[in-house]
This record gives sequence, structure tokens and C-alpha cells, in this order.
Amino acid sequence: MRSPINRRDFLLRSGGGFGGLAMSQVLGSNNSIPHHTPKAKRVIQLFMNGGVSQMDTFDPKPKLKELNGQTFDPGAGELVESVTNSPGFKVLASPFEFKQHGQSGRWVSSVFPHMAKIVDDLTFLTSMTSKTNVHGLGSYMQNTGFTLPGFPCMGAWISYGLGNISKDLPEFVVMPDPKGLPYNNLGNFTAGFLPAKHQGTVINVKSNSPINYLFPPQEAKQITPQSESDGLELLKSLNQNYAQRFPSDSQLEARIKSYELAARMQLSAPHIFDLSGETEVTKKLYGLEGDKTADFARRCIIGRRMLESGVRFVQIWSGAGGPTNNWDNHANISTELPKMTQQVDQPIAALVRDLKSRGMLEDTLVIWTTEFGRMPFSQGKAGRDHNGGSFLTWLAGAGIKPGIAHGQSDEWAWKAQKEIWCYDLHATILHLLGIDHEKLSVRHNGINRRLTDVHGHVINEILA
Amino acid sequence: MLRLIASFIFCLSFTSAEETHWSLRPLEQPAIPKSNHTSPVDAFIWTQLESAGLSFSALAKKRVWIRRVYFNLIGLPPSPAEIHAYLNNTQPNAEELVVDKLLVSPRHGERWARHWMDVVRYAETHGHDEDAIRENAWPYRDWLIRALNDDMPYSNFVRSQVAGDMIIEDVPDATAATGFLACGPWDSSSQMGIQDGTTDKKIAQYLDRDDMLSATMSTFTSTTVHCARCHDHKFDPISLQDYYSLQAVFAGVDKADRLFDNDQKISRKRASLLAEQQQFANKINDPDVTKEISIWATRLERSLPVWVPLILKKVNSSTGTPHTVLPDNSVLFKGTPPERDTYNISGITDLKKLTAVQIEVLTDPSLPMNGPGRAPNGNLHLSEIHVHIDDQPVPIIRASSDFNQADWEIGKAFDGNEQTAWGIHPQEGQSHQSVFIFNEPISIFKETSIKITLKQLHGGSHLIGRLRIGLTDGKDPDGELSIPTKIANIIKIPRDGQSSEQKKALALHYLKTKNSEELATLPEPGKVFGVTSNFTALGNFKPAIKPRVVHILERGDIHSPQEVATPGTLSCITGLPSRFQIPKEHNEGARRLALANWLSDPNNILTWRSIVNRVWHYHFGRGIVSTPNDFGKMGTAPTHPKLLDWLAVEFRNRGGSLKWLHKTIVLSTTYRQSTNDRPECQAIDSGNKLLWRMNRQRLDAESIHDTVLSLSGMLDLTMGGPSARQFTSKKGIHITPTLNYLGFNPDDPANLRRSVYRFVFRTVPDPLMEALDCPNASQLAPRRESSVTALQALAMLNNRFLVRQSEHIANKLKNETDPTGELFLRAYGRPGTASEIMAVTNYKNAHGLANTCRVILNSSEFLYIQ
Repeated sequence: MRSPINRRDFLLRSGGGFGGLAMSQVLGSNNSIPHHTPKAKRVIQLFMNGGVSQMDTFDPKPKLKELNGQTFDPGAGELVESVTNSPGFKVLASPFEFKQHGQSGRWVSSVFPHMAKIVDDLTFLTSMTSKTNVHGLGSYMQNTGFTLPGFPCMGAWISYGLGNISKDLPEFVVMPDPKGLPYNNLGNFTAGFLPAKHQGTVINVKSNSPINYLFPPQEAKQITPQSESDGLELLKSLNQNYAQRFPSDSQLEARIKSYELAARMQLSAPHIFDLSGETEVTKKLYGLEGDKTADFARRCIIGRRMLESGVRFVQIWSGAGGPTNNWDNHANISTELPKMTQQVDQPIAALVRDLKSRGMLEDTLVIWTTEFGRMPFSQGKAGRDHNGGSFLTWLAGAGIKPGIAHGQSDEWAWKAQKEIWCYDLHATILHLLGIDHEKLSVRHNGINRRLTDVHGHVINEILA
Repeated sequence: MLRLIASFIFCLSFTSAEETHWSLRPLEQPAIPKSNHTSPVDAFIWTQLESAGLSFSALAKKRVWIRRVYFNLIGLPPSPAEIHAYLNNTQPNAEELVVDKLLVSPRHGERWARHWMDVVRYAETHGHDEDAIRENAWPYRDWLIRALNDDMPYSNFVRSQVAGDMIIEDVPDATAATGFLACGPWDSSSQMGIQDGTTDKKIAQYLDRDDMLSATMSTFTSTTVHCARCHDHKFDPISLQDYYSLQAVFAGVDKADRLFDNDQKISRKRASLLAEQQQFANKINDPDVTKEISIWATRLERSLPVWVPLILKKVNSSTGTPHTVLPDNSVLFKGTPPERDTYNISGITDLKKLTAVQIEVLTDPSLPMNGPGRAPNGNLHLSEIHVHIDDQPVPIIRASSDFNQADWEIGKAFDGNEQTAWGIHPQEGQSHQSVFIFNEPISIFKETSIKITLKQLHGGSHLIGRLRIGLTDGKDPDGELSIPTKIANIIKIPRDGQSSEQKKALALHYLKTKNSEELATLPEPGKVFGVTSNFTALGNFKPAIKPRVVHILERGDIHSPQEVATPGTLSCITGLPSRFQIPKEHNEGARRLALANWLSDPNNILTWRSIVNRVWHYHFGRGIVSTPNDFGKMGTAPTHPKLLDWLAVEFRNRGGSLKWLHKTIVLSTTYRQSTNDRPECQAIDSGNKLLWRMNRQRLDAESIHDTVLSLSGMLDLTMGGPSARQFTSKKGIHITPTLNYLGFNPDDPANLRRSVYRFVFRTVPDPLMEALDCPNASQLAPRRESSVTALQALAMLNNRFLVRQSEHIANKLKNETDPTGELFLRAYGRPGTASEIMAVTNYKNAHGLANTCRVILNSSEFLYIQ
């Protein structure tokens, strides 16, 4: 049995990786991709897991200083709820100092000294909104557009829509925090009901075999380089004989190609993870030798190398799931938040600069994001609870108008005044990649499913 | 919100003026077309082929058919001996004999249960962020295998899964089947972590019911009712009201462990005892009961021990904690509580012999939460007790207490292990008592010294705040502990002196005790993760006392509640009620039973069409309707509508026998065709929609795993029980454990079980199975993809289990006279050709048999059902 998707996959693969344009021409489909000329060729997303506090980083609220310690009262009888907090709700001013930076005069708090220096390259969405105040659901929403499990994530949709640039590497790779998987574990990188090939390939940077099954198991002593190359030859001839018996079955031909691609991946992948060729200047820029920055710096450099080698979508996570050691700062903002910012601030700023100096920022989109924000009032004495009402994302690079901010949160950064949804962010990202988010759909269980559900508007205001 | 409203307006509601959609037309048995074919299936298929200018392909070779039918019916290949026997059977019914044999094989239920588990998104963890393990999901899987092997009538198969707990008269073990409703994801962090009454909590409850109802309707009726959550279905006649009526059906239940009995008698007995619990209040004045109580109370009073307080001589705390002795001989500890402490309490008694010592832990206003412990919540942990009489240790044989914290039973206070202890949570704020019984009575003299040592080493000030030590010479020292102090005190009052309140309390206690004693005589029930309205609250996750109120939500928005929804279902099935008549005072199960009966009604046209199409789908790789979960306007139309209806009616009229359906299909000429190319047919029907040949299918992930094991002879055919965890796990950062699939010992016995028994972990799937398109159980998977990727090739080449199995297969073959030839027979079901044998033998001679087996396991002919 062959579904249209398989046919499409085969065509995608059988050309040894010819691009999305060619593919859609071959298919002659009415949603031929790209739908318009793309500005971005590739994407790197930095996901801060746990819910970054907006009013302690990029969204200063002087009002909080004024009301510090008073019971939070938004007025007009508005219901104040908090998911894990007991009632109390005392306004908590940011313990960090904010200053204006760059030509754009963007306010940044003292927790991000390095990012403060690149604000003119960044575009802020200052009033993102989520449907939920729960980590798992929030992470799903930001990654897949739905609060339920089982939907394809953005990387999978992009892989599905555009196919691969590189012949030798997967389209979509994910580098989770080596401390552990994020909320929802692998659920955030899933292809959902799209074919399995579109799911994120998880890279474990600390492992000898950073990609699952890249090489034969070490204990199998009978497998030698010679047995391997002769074996693949034999396999090819067996598979060719079988495929020739059923010439109309494209999948049999595709299987032969898939083993050739696998062999190429074995050759090219290890090169990506070998940072010995990087200059000292680069290593220093990212903080590769720094105690706190080393891990995130390594993953950012590997991410850049992947982009250079033709990976379409790279996602890097900061923070594992769970109650602490991530951006979920319930107990004490002034101590918990800096622990996280110190790990990522320098590497992220370096990544943007590095991409820029290599001319890659022209067609690479960088996205910094999180699943929701935090409350303007305290949890316990000095922490903050989850807040889907308002939070912050920034973008940089391909097709983005740099140095501006879009959106508006209320005077406490409690709720968005101008709501920007993940649907809008996703629609914008797809747009920059040449995809009309309303046209990229797949039928599943009776519904034409899209990354943006039935919502989403391209945020034209931030487009260059 | 503006855009939501816009999308609402954009959505068109169903217009009844249109012609009735095919799936909603009455189900009537079509006449079988005239043809030369005896099988009605072939007659229908042939007629459409004929009119399109097509014809059946030649029958597949016998070797090809037997391999195909083995995989389709049992998920395993035929052995060379089985192939040989069939090839040499010249009887006209040789095929039928093969099929009959396969349909009675227990492997058949295993194979088809796995298909069903795809459809119903079966996994054994919650999914979502806090992806915890469900220890009791598997009884549902075992029920499925049993039901399919027993060829349970389909109507009962349906009813059991939606309301099994309500039909144990018909299907004794059906409660386990309610695992169906619960086997989808469950949002533990919202359900347990979020406070009741908050918006996020309500959303979680609506979404959980959405999971149950959409699984039910998609699975059994191939309807996309979930499309009507925000507005009337855009394309099908399903209204917002219908949708919320279905929400109301499930408004009384949550996903949790529930008890069940496989034995019908026991099941009935337990049900009647549980029902009795609701009737205690009506029985307290029953003369028979009064009589029973009087006999019981008298007997009890005689055996109650008399406790004499220890005459205190010395009270000592190892940390020097101060204390006061109160007038009632109790000791109250004061000052700042230390983390841990050991009390040594010595004294004497006037009793002449001792049989037991009693430790009463008493409340006191000076203690946190009134005590009796000194932990902030009033709890305490008694790690170990030692009793010395004249410095000789006294062995304790048994202990009882009036209350035990879960997992902190009284036995842990004298088990010799200081890491374990007795506790009283959550019954803080009340006095408790425990009794430690000596293994033999000990004689006492006037100055005999009695020393009690109470070690409290748990930490966190889990210390006794106030205690009293009692001694007895009674024969039945813990008799009193079976009854609360309050009741014991009433018994001690002469019958005539008891107030009516006291008599009532006594009667209630008696009835409860008798009921729980009778329940205790029943065998331990099984546990299944199903749906229930009766479970122990966990954090903020609490059972609904009555079905929760469900509102129709405009645009699916929790902030726009409209009128209250009443239990019901789709309105578009002619002749079946869409709103259920349910008595006012009802158990929530009545709602689910009404839906179960509606689904399994002989007149439910969708149900019968849905199942025959599903079965067809798995045999041919594509259903007569190629969207098995969507028979609506946006689904595909049936390629053979008359055949679909003929099968549906015939299947229903034959008692819903799935085995009849399988047999009818696999013995048909349609099924027995070859898969060979025919360019002249391809030109007319390139997608083979009309079935002018058989479709080739790749083995699914589970069949690959199981087949490899059958080739090495290592397949463990043990059936049922807790799932085989084919990974190592350790404690994770939070709730979800950290799993390791790649580091798991490939020869571990868990790897040798059939894949249907594999533990499926929702958010951390097995990378090999995933690469082979095994769905991750987050969504219903009515069909599987069959993808081809480089990562799949790498997984097939380098997965440790597969590489190790290639060595085992080599070991098994090496003593054969012709290992290469044998490898072809077993892996492909046919002998190799001369040139194949030569190429493979050359490779084997250079690189060994294990490497050769590895190549064959990666070859297309092995991986495809032809």
C-alpha cells in the first residue's frame, strides 16, 4: 500500500536530496512549496525550558517597584489565579537593574550583559501569550501549536514541507540539555502523525555515538570495515534483484537509496562534532572554556556547524524538565535566574555574532523562546509562579527587521495587551521559509491539521 | 479572541438538504452480483474489476500465500516444516486447514490485539510532562488478547470497553476492558498539581473527557466527533450539542486504577457487598441486626484486655529533651524538638504476669496540629521498639495498631530495621494506640524492672509528643484494636445505659466491620488502569462524587459556558435515540452503559461498517474506506460500497465473529492474488484501488522483532502479565524516569517476549520501533506509515538486539548441512536461486554466518509481505 505521503517521500529522497522546489514541481501539487520566495533558508531555535521571567530580563515594569509588597490587584474585579501558588499574591519588583542598550535603546536587565550588546540585531515580541500555565502543555503549545500530545512540532513541519538541503544529514536535529530531556521528553520533537522521518534527530553531544545507531555496536567483533563494505554490496544486489521484480514499487528503490544515504551520514556526521578545527577566537567568543558556559557554547558551535553543513532546523534546549535547574524559578528569582542566564548569555550572543560575521545571518533565522512567562507577584517570598498571560521571544536574522520591539504587555507584565500567539510566531517563521502556513496541512483523523491550527497571522510589523 | 469568532463564522454548519452521506444510509444487505466466483467477496470485487476493464491477477505461489497468511493472522512466519506440509497437502481444502489452524493459535489474539492497541493509542505511561508509569495498564491488553482468541461477539467487545464494569453479568471479566477509555494520555501535572476550581484545572477535565469520547467515537464509529468541540462539525451532521452530550457521558469518571474480578461469582459478591455499604443507615434498627449486635458486643466485652499504666520510675531522652508527667500517667515532651530521638522509659507494675505492652500516642494542645507527633503536621515515626524485663530483651511476636499510615505499618516498628517505621499520616490530630504482644507470658515480681526503648530515627522531628505506656496480663491483648476507642467505651457501658446515639454508633460499626470482614474473605481483586468514580485522591486529583456538571462551551471556550449538557450521543443515526433516558438517581455507569448499548446496537450502521473496514485494512494494507477513523464527508468514499455493506450485515448477522471475517477474507481469490506488476492494469488503476492484485506490505516493527526471534529459536511465548521493559531505567530529574534503550542488554529475557507484551513508554519511545514507524500512542493510529529513511537503515543495521540476534540465528543454523540454503528457507520462505546462494555463500565464507544473517535481516524480501 502506498499513500500519497510515501510517494512524496520517495520523490524527495530518490533524487538524492533535490530541494523542495523540484519536489513540488514533480508532484504538481496545488500547494507547491515554496509558496513565495523565501527569506530564510535555515533556522536555529534556542528554547529556554521552564518559563523565562519577562519582567526580570527584557520587559521592565517600573510599576512593580512602586507596588512592591502590596497585594496584587489588577482592578475591575479581574480574577487572579495562580496554578501552583497558594494565595498571597504580593507584588514583587525585579531585583535586577535595567539599562538601555544599543542604538535601539532596548532595556535589558543585568542578567544578560552579553545579549545586551547585540540588541540592535534582535527583534523582540514583548507580549507573547499562551493558553496554559502548565509546563507540559505550554511546551507542547510552543513547539506544536497544540496543548495536547501527538501533534507534529515545527521542525517536523518544516522538514515535511521543505525536505532536506544536505544529502548526508537529517533535516531537523535537536540538542537537549545534557542534564536531561525537557518537559514532555521526546514529545516536543515528535513528527506526530507526519511520517517518522520528520521527527527531530536527537543529538547527545556527550555520547561517543551522538546519533543513535550511527555505527555498529562495539561488542560485535565480527563486523569489520571490510565485512561492512562487502555486506552493503551484497545487500544492494539482493535488494536490487528484489526491486527489479516489482519495478512499479518506488519504495523498494527508495530502500536501496536509504542505505547509501546512511553510509554517507556515517562519514559526514562525526566531522560535525569535532571542534578541533574551530579557531581560538571562536572558542573564546562562545565561552567554550568557561566553567558555566562550556556546555551551551559547545552545543551552539555544533549547531552552527550543522547549519553550515546543510541541516535545515536546529533546536537547542537550555534546562531539563523538572522543578529546578531550569528556568522555572519558583523559589527565588534573584538567585535562580542568574544561574541559568550565566550558562547561555555569552554563547547565544556569540552565536548571533558568529553567524553575522560569516554572512549566515542573512539567510538564517535565530529564535530565542520559552513556554511562558512568570507572575508579577511573588510565590513564597521571592519566587514567581507560571504565567501564560505574557512572555517574551526574540528573533534575529533572515528577513527580520532588527532592533525593534513588537507587542505590548500591561503595566505589570501580567497579561498581554496585544496578544501574540505561538500561531503568529509559527506563521511568521513559516512565511520567512517561503511557506504559507494555511497551505501546509495534512489530513489526520478527519481534520486538515496545520501547525497553526485554525489561527495565525504573519507578523508583518517585524519583517524587513 | 476576534480571530476565534471569525473562524466560527467561517465554519459552515451541516445542511440537511444535501443527500444523505454514504455512511449514514441504512445498512441493507446488497444482492451478491452474479459471477463465476463462489466467494461473495470475490463476486463484488470481480464485478467492479470487470466494469473497469480489469481482471484478477493470477493466484500467488503457494509459498507466497502461506507466508502472507501467517503474518496477517499470527504475525509470525511459517517454519520450513509448516511450509513443506502445506505444499504437500493436495486436499482441496488445504488452505482452509492452514487458516483454521492459525485462527485457533493463541498467537492470533496477540497479533490482532496489537493492531487494536494502535487504534486505541495504548501505552503504559501517562504521556505529557509528568510521564509516570501505569503499573496496571496491562490487564486491558491481556483482556484484548483473550477476547480476540475467544472470538468474543463484537457487540460484547464494544460494550465491554465502554462500560465493562456495568455488564459483568454478560462478560464476567469486562471491567478490565474499561482500560480502553483510560489508555490514552493523562495530564498528571494539571490533574494532580493544579488546584481544583481553577480555569486550568477545568480545562484539563474537559480535555480528558475529550480524549475518552473522541477515542470511543473514532474507534467504534469512525466518526470525527472531536471536530465539533468548538462549533458544529463543518462537514458532518454532528452538532456542538451532540459533542457536549458525549462529554456528559464521561462526566463521572476519571482515569485511575480500579479493582476487578475475573470470576463472575466473586465479582457479583463484591458488588453486592459494596452496594450494601450505601445501605447501613437503613439497617441499624433492623431487629435481626440488633440481635446480632448484642451477641457480638457481649462476646467482645469479655475479651477486652484491661490496661494498667506502667508505674513510672525514669523517663530519659537521648537528646535530653525535657518532659512532664501528667496526672493521667502520660508523658508529654516539650522544648525544641530534636531531629531524632530515643526514649528510654522504665518502671514497675503490680501485675503478676505480662502478655503485652501498649503504647498510646495522645493528642495535646501543645503539640503541632494537636499531635500526637512533633513533626509539623503532627505525625510521628516509631522506628523500633525494644522491651527489656530485668535487662533481658523480650521477644515480640506480633503487633497491632488502630491505624497505620500506608507503607508505614506497625510491623515496621519491630522488624529490626531502623530505616522503616510506624506512622499515622494522614490521621494526625487524633490519639492512636499500638500493642506489642510477647511471644509468651512473662512472670513479674514486685521489683521487676520494665524498660521500654522507643527509637525514632526517621528525622524531621517525627517524634512522639505525648505517650502513655500500658501493661496487661490479658489473653487477647490486641482484641480491642479491631475496634476504635469510642466503640470500645460504648461496649463497656451496659446495654440499657447506652444512649440512642451510642446504639446507633455501635450498630454502624458492627455493620461496617462485618461488611469489611466479608470483603476480606474474597480473593484479592485484580487492578486495571481504567475509568472509575471511586479511587483514592492523589493531591488535587479527586474523584467526582456525582458526575461533574458539563456545560456546552461556545467555541470550545471555557469562559463561554452555555446550558448544561445532558448525556447523549450523535443525532444523525436514524432510529437510535440521541439523548439518553437515565433515571435521576443513577450511578454514573448508567451513562456509559447507555452509550455502550447505543454503539453496539444492531441498527448502528456506523459500528458495523467501521469494524469490517478496519479488518479489511489490515489484510490489504488499505481499507475499503482508506480513512478508517473517518467515515465523514472529509474521509474518503468506499471503493466498494456494496462489499462493505455486505460484509457489515453478514458479520453482524453471524454474531459479530471476527474469526469468520478473517477466514472469509484470507480464503478469497482477491486476497490470494499475486502482487506482481501488470502494466496494462496499472495504466487503468495505478493505485490498485479496485484490487486487481494484492498489495505488498512491509512488516511492521513488532513483526520484525518477533520474526527475528523466531528465526533464532529464542522467541519466548509466555502470554500475559506485566509488560517486558526492554530498557534500563533510573530515577529521572522529576517524575519521568530516565530510560536507556541503547544500553539495555540485548540478551535480556525481556527482549525475548513477543512485542505485544513490550512496555510502551509514551514520551520516550524505543528508537528502533520508532524508526520502523511504530506509533507513539499519543494519538489514535488507525493506520501506520511505512517510511523509508536513512535513520531506519542505520537502526536496522546497528541496533544491538538485531546484531546480537543475527549471531544467534547463525548459531542455530551453523549445524545444518546447508546453512545458507536454510537461511533462505526460513527468512524468505523459499529456497535461494543458484546465483543468490553463490553470492551469499561467498560472503559467508569471507565474513562469517552472523554477518550474513545481518545482511539478510536488512534485505527487502525479508522485510516485505509479498
